[in-house]
Amino acid sequence: MADLAEIQRLIADSLPGAEVEVIDEGGGDHLRAVVSAPQFEGLSRIDQHRLVRAPVQHLMDDGTIHALSITSSTPGD
Amino acid sequence: MPADPELKSKVEEIIRDNEVLLFMKGVPEQPRCGFSMRVVQMLEQLGVEYGAVDVLPALDPLREATGEISDWRTFPQLYVKGDLVGGCDIVEEMFASGELAELLGVQQPAGAATPEPERLVPGGSQQSPPMQLS
Repeated sequence: MADLAEIQRLIADSLPGAEVEVIDEGGGDHLRAVVSAPQFEGLSRIDQHRLVRAPVQHLMDDGTIHALSITSSTPGD
Repeated sequence: MPADPELKSKVEEIIRDNEVLLFMKGVPEQPRCGFSMRVVQMLEQLGVEYGAVDVLPALDPLREATGEISDWRTFPQLYVKGDLVGGCDIVEEMFASGELAELLGVQQPAGAATPEPERLVPGGSQQSPPMQLS
């Protein structure tokens, strides 16, 4: 069972100024992160998603998070 | 753990040799994961030819390999012309917006709609009714 608040904090800490919401989409290990971050400006979607995943990669590797869907945007969108 | 160099070069080769390539759990006829199934359904709707690699027989070694090649360790992964486009959520966004059709050089199908997620329980595909991969 993933700790949603901890995951939100990990993502938010790695992207200062970002708005981060983490939602349980089922079973406690299928999560969605909704992230709006100024750092995404000018990046492809895949690179935006890489930035979101990086701080929680260890939780995906150890199976705490089975799936992390990501909705990314820039604050101006 | 570093990726097996031989596997890594095989993966690089298959990415290079297939214009559209999907790494997925299961095979297109029988996906073993709801996310892989959704990507298959979108590619089928677009009517493109694609190569598919079932990652389940070598899941961890392939994670290491794609982690080193593309900095991406979860599946499915869709590659177009050698570049990682994304996993299920990016592919769905691009499918819905028409960007995927454009990238693949095909017409956006009329009434293109992403598959209903609630019908597709990840990991539950064995219990699903037969899938329409028309």
